[in-house]
Amino acid sequence: MNIPMHVQPHLSNNEYFKYWRACALSGPMFLGAFIIFWGALGYNIPPIPADWTADQMAEHFRTNYNQVRAGMAGAMLFGCFYLTFTLSITKVMQWINFERNDMLPTLQMWGGGLTVVPLVTSSVFWLTGAYRPEALDPSVLRMLYDQGWLLIDMFYFITTIAMVALGVAGLADRRADRLYPRWACWFTIWAGVSFLFELLMPFFYSGLFARQGWLNFWVEFLVWFSYILIVSYYTFQAVPKLARERSELLGNQEDSETVPQLQPSGNPLPAK
Amino acid sequence: MSEYHGRAPEEGAATEAEELFAGVHFFILADMAVFAALFAGFMVERSAEVTLFDQSAGQLAPRVGVLNTLILVTSGLCIALAVDAARKGLANITRRWIAASFFIGAGFAISKVLEYSDKISHGITMHTNDFFMFYYALTGAHFLHYLGGMGALIYIYVRCAHEQVDGRFFGTVEAVALYWHMVDLLWIFIFPLLYLMGAG
Repeated sequence: MNIPMHVQPHLSNNEYFKYWRACALSGPMFLGAFIIFWGALGYNIPPIPADWTADQMAEHFRTNYNQVRAGMAGAMLFGCFYLTFTLSITKVMQWINFERNDMLPTLQMWGGGLTVVPLVTSSVFWLTGAYRPEALDPSVLRMLYDQGWLLIDMFYFITTIAMVALGVAGLADRRADRLYPRWACWFTIWAGVSFLFELLMPFFYSGLFARQGWLNFWVEFLVWFSYILIVSYYTFQAVPKLARERSELLGNQEDSETVPQLQPSGNPLPAK
Repeated sequence: MSEYHGRAPEEGAATEAEELFAGVHFFILADMAVFAALFAGFMVERSAEVTLFDQSAGQLAPRVGVLNTLILVTSGLCIALAVDAARKGLANITRRWIAASFFIGAGFAISKVLEYSDKISHGITMHTNDFFMFYYALTGAHFLHYLGGMGALIYIYVRCAHEQVDGRFFGTVEAVALYWHMVDLLWIFIFPLLYLMGAG
């Protein structure tokens, strides 16, 4: 089997794997910051109930506008870390079965990367409501809050694509010591598919399927948060495994962290 | 170019069937936990509106529910027989039982489409009341699982023609069968909850 292109044999392991762990760590960092800024400061954990009146919503924005502004500013900043977290998964996925095509890592990268769009855009809606709350009509303020939640909940499938792609790719891993254990792969598939319950969210103002409902909020968001933690952990753990694997692949089995013995031209090494 | 000798492709294959089986178990347990929560939610809501739930349950047709149950259980029996045939290495018989499972199972889709059409034509939707919200949510979520199972049956039917059914592929057949039984099992909970309880 030829050395695949993405192995980049002219790079040392240190150079090759630089930033991978940092990107993997951005998953839990995103999660922690998102809970604080988007969730606590932004009044989204739990969401403001969909059956609130426009006047109640206006009162909320006019009372808590500074807190919401801070929360949404933080959510827009840290929300982008979902992209770096996604990229770390993509890099690991490229090693799962590199004799196959790269459709699944690519789907994962696009799906995870585009997940940033609803996270950040919905924050803009809430931030708009908090920017001049006294000048906006109560129904407009409620519309902005609704619009944020409709976007973040109803764009779930872009995240589902990324999660299912990771799960399917991970299940095809032939290593004895898999990069992502099978249970985690099944979990990501199940979690991604379970977001389908969000389809019902626009039809309800109260009850389990409403945005504040125990199923469509508490269960689904806890599932997503768990996915982030589980996948971050195994992505982080995959880096040293892949470093050893790459060293073996390049013929330097003594020390996975040292520069492989390469020809000055950077051409691939001859077989051992 | 250098040859890659790092990881043999079949290195983990010895236990692959068992792991696939175990992986599907995790998926099924997680799925059933969500359904269990939905069933609990239904019971909590029902306890607050017993009369409404009983009256609404009276608008469902228990005979259709019984028919659906028989369809799924019979289809489940066929897939169990397919697993048995696969274990013995009988590829053709395995395929026949899978086909039987699929075609009998297809009756469930016909039945559900007729049932939904009837309800909708009578103006009964998710928004009619809380009972029918659960009715559509539970049966709809179950129906999506059913569709996934039907797709999986087609997949193993096609693959059986090219695979050694008592080899590595056996794990896949067994996993699909297990999933299909979960679809049965969920229905066996949904049927009495919606169609029988309080409908008398």
